[in-house]
Amino acid sequence: MESAAVPTPPPSTSATTTPVPSGGDKGLKKNAIGFVSSVVIGVASTAPGYSLAATLGFIAAAVALESPAVLLISFIPMFLVAAGYYYMNKADPDCGTSFSWVTKAMGPQLGWIAGWTIVVADVIVMANLAQIAGLYTFLLVGWDSAAASTAAVTAVGVFWIALMTAIVLIGIELSARTQVGLLGAEIITLAAFAVVALVKVYAGDAPASSIDPSFSWLNPFNLSLSEVSAGMLLAVFIYWGWDTTATVNEETENPDEAPGRATVVATLILLGIYLIVAVAAQAYAGVDSLVENQEDVLSALGTEVFGSPLDKILIIAVLTSAAASTQTTILPTARTTLSMARSRAMPKSLGKVHPRFLTPHVSTLAMGAASIVWYVGLTLVSEDILFDSLAALGLMISFYIGLTGFACAIYYRREIFRSVKNFFFVGFGPALGGAILFYLLIKNGIELSNPANSESGDSWLGLGPPLVIAGFFFLLGLFLMAIQWRALPGFFRRRPEVAPDGFLEGEAPQPPPTVAGGAE
Amino acid sequence: MGQIVVGYDGSDCSKAALEHAVGLAKGLGDEIVLVFGYAPPGIWGGEIAEHEEAIEEFGEKVMAEGKKLAEEGGVAVEVEMVPKRGAEALTDVAAACEARMIVVGSYGEAPLKGAILGSTPYKLLHQSEWPVLVVPAPR
Repeated sequence: MESAAVPTPPPSTSATTTPVPSGGDKGLKKNAIGFVSSVVIGVASTAPGYSLAATLGFIAAAVALESPAVLLISFIPMFLVAAGYYYMNKADPDCGTSFSWVTKAMGPQLGWIAGWTIVVADVIVMANLAQIAGLYTFLLVGWDSAAASTAAVTAVGVFWIALMTAIVLIGIELSARTQVGLLGAEIITLAAFAVVALVKVYAGDAPASSIDPSFSWLNPFNLSLSEVSAGMLLAVFIYWGWDTTATVNEETENPDEAPGRATVVATLILLGIYLIVAVAAQAYAGVDSLVENQEDVLSALGTEVFGSPLDKILIIAVLTSAAASTQTTILPTARTTLSMARSRAMPKSLGKVHPRFLTPHVSTLAMGAASIVWYVGLTLVSEDILFDSLAALGLMISFYIGLTGFACAIYYRREIFRSVKNFFFVGFGPALGGAILFYLLIKNGIELSNPANSESGDSWLGLGPPLVIAGFFFLLGLFLMAIQWRALPGFFRRRPEVAPDGFLEGEAPQPPPTVAGGAE
Repeated sequence: MGQIVVGYDGSDCSKAALEHAVGLAKGLGDEIVLVFGYAPPGIWGGEIAEHEEAIEEFGEKVMAEGKKLAEEGGVAVEVEMVPKRGAEALTDVAAACEARMIVVGSYGEAPLKGAILGSTPYKLLHQSEWPVLVVPAPR
């Protein structure tokens, strides 16, 4: 401010204390965060407590004793595609999402559909979250008759969605330290649950249905291909969100230091906690009990393992996990529609930011409203909302994350033969991950076309409900894309790009951002 | 000549604050430093740069209006856009130019509501090392 007397002409602006990085390196440095925060983001986005509560019983129903094996192998495609996330984020260092990356690599039509799928997956996961949150809220206060009432659970679930939407809209954030504390408590609770359960199994204090753990539980080859793919479709959900770690710009003191340490640590934490909890739960209660209590598996088990009132800790862990997960779900998704709106791929109003809270409020509100409508609607027509929404989510996650894996290999197609490392991490790995996810999508699509293979056995239009849900939203997406294309064709005229020669070796400059500014 | 730091976001109460500050600046022969603090909420994943750009565009538009308002009032104006939350942005700028005071508007909401929604004047009153003047929104 020494030259304070010189007025700055608009619109050029300057910052006094923190210089705003201009142009190319924008975002990358400004948003770099520390190691612990990166790990916390990765684990909290995945929401281990909520994910386990939502999936464990259903996976057990699909694969019986092999749940741990399915959890283990489901990680493989997610891991392979996460490498793709990492490299796409290098080309487009703005913590983009599948929308911007697929648009860049494979053109605007597929990019649009990828963005749409993210939005739909978000709307559906909110229904799942709301159901779990509603159920566990009643279980927390011990009001079991309300927990058994669909109307009561739905009412609390709707309130929960509204509350989380409001929190994101206002932009309330927990401090980094609070996040670390909450997540730490969640992980410790889950670990304590697993340890106590296992101790009881070996001490003979577990119920008669308990089984001693066996290494064969980790062997996926004991299963048929149909069982593996059905289990994996449910289990991809459990790792969903973890991929954000690959796009968080980690602050390293030494820039040459291997990046992605946070991703590795987050991965170990997640894999460790999932495996130990899955093994402990099934050792303690046996498969039948997991399947019977699939709607509230952690609460039912917690009561037996911990006894009252300590079991409430597990319920609180699931609830805080669900709350953290909405925070990490709604905001990035609202930003995806903001990004789409700003590149004229969606109505302009979705790109507005609130003048006071600076949040993408129109996007956030639209998503909250859609989630409530969807949640209430699904509750009214489906007997088995948790399973149907979970399986439909699996189809959608497989689709857009798989697409992102292909996008990486395609975008870098001229780079992947430059070195062995490039070939495996940039080309083959992400493409293989994408192929596995697409295999899950197609295989399960075919299986779910037979209503007898869905959890409830419900038949909608002669098909399983999850397939109908996924298909309906896909067609709706095509329809909306056609409308937008007609109204504003500019975005849809974009050409796919390819990585500049030698970019990964640092021989080419940063390519210009695809989405920012937009092709008018 | 001193500097009067004004928090501005285009809202009615920030306009009231600016008007008041312009009057003061004229009398004192001071310059106005208009500040827009923007920190995109949530570092959690996806499309953060796009979000930041949207906020910057909004800020630039609003600040151009504010600058015009102040210039019409006949005082020298400087515009600062700081990528931090409102209160922190203001105290940082005030520290850098050793401002005479910070002027902000107040929505006039109940304390609890302000606490939930994040009240900048409230934070400033407690944390600023510079004098703070709070101007209520016109009713």
